[in-house]
Amino acid sequence: MVDATTCGTTDARTILHVRGLAVSAGPRALLRDIDLAIPERRVFGIIGPSGAGKSTLLRCLNRLVDLDESLHVSGDVELDGRSIFAPDVDVDTLRARVGILFQQPAIFPVSIEKNVLFGARHLRRLDRRAAADLAERALRDAALWDEVKDRLDAPAVKLSVGQQQRLCLARALALDPEVLLMDEPTSALDVQSTDAIERLIVRLAPRCTIVLVTHDIDQARRVTDRLACLGLRDGVGRLVQCGPCCELLDGRTNAEVAERLGGGSCCD
Amino acid sequence: MLDPSYLNRIRRRERIAQRVIGLGGAFVVICVLGILFQISWVALPLFLEPDAEIRARVPTSGEVDRVVAFGVGEYIETAYVLTRDGALRYVLLEDGKTIAEERLASPGADDASIVGVVRHGAGRYSLTWSDGSVSRERFAFESTFDDEGVRTIVPATSRELGLAPDEGDAESGAIVESTLLPADESGFTRIDRLAEGGLRLHVRAVSTSIFGDSEATDHRFDLSADLEDDRIEALDLATDGRELVAITDSGDLLRWEWDFSDSDDIREPVLVDRVRAAEPGARLTAVSYVFGDESLVVGDDQGRLSRWLPARSETSGNRRELTRIQTLDPQDGSVVQLSPTQRDKSIVSLGAGGTAILDHTTAERRLLEFDADSRLVHASINARSDALAALDERGTILVWELDVPHPEVSMKTLFGEVWYEGYDEPQFRWESSAATQDSEPKISLVPLLFGTLKGTLYAMLFAVPVAVLGALYTSQFLSPRMRGIVKPLIEIMAAIPSVVIGFLAAHWFAPILQQSMTGLFLSFALFPVIVLGVVAVWDRYGAAGRVLGKRREGFEFLLLAPVIGLAMWLCVKVGDFAEPIIFGSDLQTFLFEGLGVVYDPRNSIVIAFALGFAVVPIIFTIAEDSLSNVPRSLSAGSLALGASRWQTAWRVILPAGAPGIFAATMIGLGRAIGETMIVLMATGNTAIMDWSPFNGMRTISANIATEAPEAPHLGSLYRVLFLSAVILFVMTFILNTIAEIVRHRIRRKYARF
Ligand SMILES: Nc1ncnc2c1ncn2[C@@H]1O[C@H](COP(=O)(O)OP(=O)(O)OP(=O)(O)O)[C@@H](O)[C@H]1O
Ligand SMILES: [Mg+2]
Repeated sequence: MVDATTCGTTDARTILHVRGLAVSAGPRALLRDIDLAIPERRVFGIIGPSGAGKSTLLRCLNRLVDLDESLHVSGDVELDGRSIFAPDVDVDTLRARVGILFQQPAIFPVSIEKNVLFGARHLRRLDRRAAADLAERALRDAALWDEVKDRLDAPAVKLSVGQQQRLCLARALALDPEVLLMDEPTSALDVQSTDAIERLIVRLAPRCTIVLVTHDIDQARRVTDRLACLGLRDGVGRLVQCGPCCELLDGRTNAEVAERLGGGSCCD
Repeated sequence: MLDPSYLNRIRRRERIAQRVIGLGGAFVVICVLGILFQISWVALPLFLEPDAEIRARVPTSGEVDRVVAFGVGEYIETAYVLTRDGALRYVLLEDGKTIAEERLASPGADDASIVGVVRHGAGRYSLTWSDGSVSRERFAFESTFDDEGVRTIVPATSRELGLAPDEGDAESGAIVESTLLPADESGFTRIDRLAEGGLRLHVRAVSTSIFGDSEATDHRFDLSADLEDDRIEALDLATDGRELVAITDSGDLLRWEWDFSDSDDIREPVLVDRVRAAEPGARLTAVSYVFGDESLVVGDDQGRLSRWLPARSETSGNRRELTRIQTLDPQDGSVVQLSPTQRDKSIVSLGAGGTAILDHTTAERRLLEFDADSRLVHASINARSDALAALDERGTILVWELDVPHPEVSMKTLFGEVWYEGYDEPQFRWESSAATQDSEPKISLVPLLFGTLKGTLYAMLFAVPVAVLGALYTSQFLSPRMRGIVKPLIEIMAAIPSVVIGFLAAHWFAPILQQSMTGLFLSFALFPVIVLGVVAVWDRYGAAGRVLGKRREGFEFLLLAPVIGLAMWLCVKVGDFAEPIIFGSDLQTFLFEGLGVVYDPRNSIVIAFALGFAVVPIIFTIAEDSLSNVPRSLSAGSLALGASRWQTAWRVILPAGAPGIFAATMIGLGRAIGETMIVLMATGNTAIMDWSPFNGMRTISANIATEAPEAPHLGSLYRVLFLSAVILFVMTFILNTIAEIVRHRIRRKYARF
């Protein structure tokens, strides 16, 4: 799907800059020496074997690692050239700017509509109409509208896991984030929904930067512009390779990629 | 590969576990139901219908018209019959045999016959003789035992007082009916109804000097002038001989009062009341004091029975006027006779239709109706109120044995507003032990229910916010290390015996509160301002971060604790300082003089804190558990959407933990409702109905604790206490059921597998 002419072009501005990031849980190192430049308004993919620390890396990008007292972060992440770990940074605003979609959907025990508007309500005053419009737009973006439009007041927990995942996506989109971190958003979805999400990612890319963690090489090939590959070295997650998607994967079979990335169990 | 024997073993274990759990559950349910059944069983007889059984039918030889008095003795073994000619016959009820016969003679002429009879109850009669003399007689029975211990019943007739005719009364028929009441020495009070319609009062007061000589003073008054040409239909003299009520043919109810007991302060008879007591178109036919002589019952020719009491009203000012306080169920035909029981506020009425009825006036409860196949023309209840004798038109005496265990208990006295004697309006009152012998126990459960709800409400008002917000802070904001210390500490609070809390509340906290009440009220306003102000300043200058270092989250309370302490101290100091300025003197005086509010040192605010203190740990623990158990992914999800920690706690964690918080509140409520010791010790236990926080209350449980030891076994009070226990039980049961239903609803709404 990626246009061949854009493949590999890195003329875009860097919005997120990861410099020498390392994460450790007590004595155990989880990630080390991660350096990444994530270009603005592109889809940036992260692949790697299970346990390589992809989710952990993603959480570092909007400081959700803070929630876990046992994790210690060193190094730096810059958003628009400003460190997100600086003491004067307002974490809540940061997280509104850098949205995240978890591997497992976390649904609030309220109605579908309230779930969608949850984040937006904290940021600005919404009257009834604006709220309804926003909810509809976000749900349409997340390819969920048709399924839930006549039961917006129903409890959201009654949705299927795939629907819940898309609801989380709608929730994040309702905030209009600058960066959207997606942690394997399609792992629980069927082919059609996966397709819908992928198309959505492509459609979103021009207006918001997307960092996509995936296990699926084909998906990476289909939607990402640049790709970083994390691998495990001595039990510590490290950056193996980083570059334009087509360069990394160009013309190779999955098995070859796997071997070259050295992850062994990667991309099965 | 399945191993069948292994599977079987698992199945067997499952079956056993299921049975054990089922049995345990059934056991608990049976126990609870058993307790409920047991306490209900004790309370149930309160509502059983009274019972009467015919014990004897004794034919009398004379015609009905000749019988002037009759009655049964205390053991329902004997009866007496007095006829107009003065013949008195004692009979054995068993077989109707005569055991003794006497002839009563007039204190005056020998051949006089009886023309008027006034019944005083307990076998006492005033007899008016045709020669104008008056006597007071008592017919009783005494039991004697011979050497072998065989009991024989001996009739005992005694003349308490006999007065020969006064001058002018001698000619036959001058006096229609006299009421004679003996007083100390040979004094007496005497009321005469005269043939021409007049009414006379004669009081002989006897005073004894220190030398032992007694001197009699006679006070005679003609009350006829007060009648204003009306004729007396019936009258009744109070047993203290200082009050008289009468009804007239014009439908008025009259009351006189006098007092000659103190020769230095004589109060001559005055007509204190004249009220219209008859309904339009009706004629009054009977009047009688109810036992205790405070209230009276009036009957009319249409069978209506009404109860009257001297009471103050808005218009009467400080004077008590006879006021109709009750209308009882009507009699069958005109009311021909009213006789009060000598034990409680019951009254026997006899209708022209021939039915005798036993009503409890206060309880508005029709206890018994005595229906014979023949018309009853006289009815008389014995001194112990356990037997009723009635004379039917054929001259047969019928004797019923009564079983009326709890006459004063009815839905009205238990749950309604009752106009008791001595009060000026109907009220809900609990005063189980009557202040004087004549007054009756007041058993309304409403003030107790009210007190229970009030105490619980005040306690919950304090406990729920403290416990829930504390739980929210502990689970969401406190550092895990601190949480590990705080939670067990608060749980230990639950182990403090309630006696200790009650004792501290009553003897330590109540006096402090009394001194610093103004400070407390000020703190409602000042406290948040001070604390929020300090926090705002800190936040502004980032001081907290500097003091606590980088890892400050979870330890903010360390900075806040001294501020809170300081703020509290400040509030108390400012309160002490401001009290005289704001209220002129102190708050208590201001409340009383300015607002008419009585300040009871052991009041609802003390209860709110003390009882609240007892329930906080329970609510806190359960709420904290449920809040901590809200999945971390939810809070992560909320924070990831840019919500602050406070927004997350408030809008995600709190709603998600709501079922648990609700359950915690309900369990706390259950504990507060049933809590006995604290309320017992920390309030004055007055059963008042008043929402004022400066007053105490009396709760059901504290009431049971105070009164149960003194309640006579299986008596009315005893059973009423059990009834209140049933109510308490049912209340808690309903609360828990509601809690369970709501919790279930919430769960189902947001659950999915
Ligand atoms: N709070 C923590 N404390 C200790 N170890 C942690 C913590 N969080 C993550 N880890 C460890 O970090 C490693 C990386 O975890 P992470 O969830 O980032 O892997 P991942 O690459 O996302 O794997 P997957 O593809 O299976 O989702 C794992 O070995 C995990 O056990
Ligand atoms: Mg992961």
